[in-house]
Amino acid sequence: MVEQRTDKGGEARATAWSVPTGRRTDEWSESLVLIGKHRDRAAFTRFFRHFAPLIKSFALAGSSLSASHADELVQEVMLKVWQKAEGFNPEKAAASTWVYTIARNCRTDMFRRLQKFDTPLAADDLNIDVEEEEPFAVLHTRRGSDRVRELMGDLPPDQAQILAKVYMEGKSHSEAAAELDLPLGTVKSRVRLAIQKLQVQMDRQ
Amino acid sequence: MVMHHPSVDFLTAHAAGILPVAQSACVSAHLTYCEKCRRSNAQLQAIGGVFFEQLAPTPVSESVLDNVLARLDEPEPLHFADTASVARAEDSLPGVLRRIINGDFSQLVWKKVTRSLSISHLNTGDTHYEFALYRIGAGGRIPEHDHGGSEMTLVLEGGFSDGQGTYHPGDFVYRKNTDIHAPVAIDGEDCICLAVLDAPLKFTGWQYRWMNPFLQLRAG
Ligand SMILES: [Zn+2]
Repeated sequence: MVEQRTDKGGEARATAWSVPTGRRTDEWSESLVLIGKHRDRAAFTRFFRHFAPLIKSFALAGSSLSASHADELVQEVMLKVWQKAEGFNPEKAAASTWVYTIARNCRTDMFRRLQKFDTPLAADDLNIDVEEEEPFAVLHTRRGSDRVRELMGDLPPDQAQILAKVYMEGKSHSEAAAELDLPLGTVKSRVRLAIQKLQVQMDRQ
Repeated sequence: MVMHHPSVDFLTAHAAGILPVAQSACVSAHLTYCEKCRRSNAQLQAIGGVFFEQLAPTPVSESVLDNVLARLDEPEPLHFADTASVARAEDSLPGVLRRIINGDFSQLVWKKVTRSLSISHLNTGDTHYEFALYRIGAGGRIPEHDHGGSEMTLVLEGGFSDGQGTYHPGDFVYRKNTDIHAPVAIDGEDCICLAVLDAPLKFTGWQYRWMNPFLQLRAG
């Protein structure tokens, strides 16, 4: 089970995850822009100290990688952060989402390498970014990102728990069903319900 | 205008990175055509971003930071520089297909199956799903069939109808094993589709491991 921050009360929600309060997220977007523009190593070091421990948790979630592979993943992801920072556009994505997609892709690729699964397609190749001119940048501005966080805080714990398994542990629906001892149909419908609820709310803003 | 889209289930699995590579490539190719689904994909990734930032941090040793700082000046691998992008008028192919096809459709090896159907198999490395291009001659028909497993189809050129609808470039169709259909290409132009099918079961053990990548590593 993914360990999530539980710094806000609410016993029921603590089993899945909770919403942190008062943390500014856009400072990381700002420092990412600095890293990209000025190749600022001090800013990168601060960025590393914040995100590396999250990347490591992501690597270890669902016991998917050993501790040494997790450190290797941290290095790979942070190097890519440095290399790709110039292309980061704070209008398009929050820093945390941007780092998440890099970490997700690196974890998938590392996993396939370890399994000797040979594919000409790196996870990056499957990533289709939104276009500059597309009119939903608002979703990704600080307010948009806060809104997603807020909406997710309102999800029933049973739905949030399954979403966390899928997103953080990389579990398929059937794996999540087996681990939670639930029928596959229940897992599928909880994921679908949660996503639909979030998307409807996001579109409404 | 794209009218037929992947389900929320597929889009979520794609955004969370848990879809098998062949299916994920097909969804990715759809995204290059479809603004609506790109928007959903961005939302679904933002959900991942929120889970990610709320993980309880795991301490990372200073030596890892030192290693990274020492490697910052390494030249960037070429592969990173060129990420997939949205299909533009001048591109004949979605970015993900350009990765695995050299040149254009005419340079591929096409195997003639019936008078109006040719198939070209592409390699994604996925042992569970077959990834292929289908070319149906203008006005031609694919014999009625049901699916042993599931079938994802994405129209790349031309179009086809199958009794349930008519599909044009960018349209995404998913059929499960119980659906029977007989696609007919629209007159006047060959129809080229990307099709992702469940391959016959060959290595059950291996497939199981591949379908459950994160489970497997723990077991190993
Ligand atoms: Zn779509």
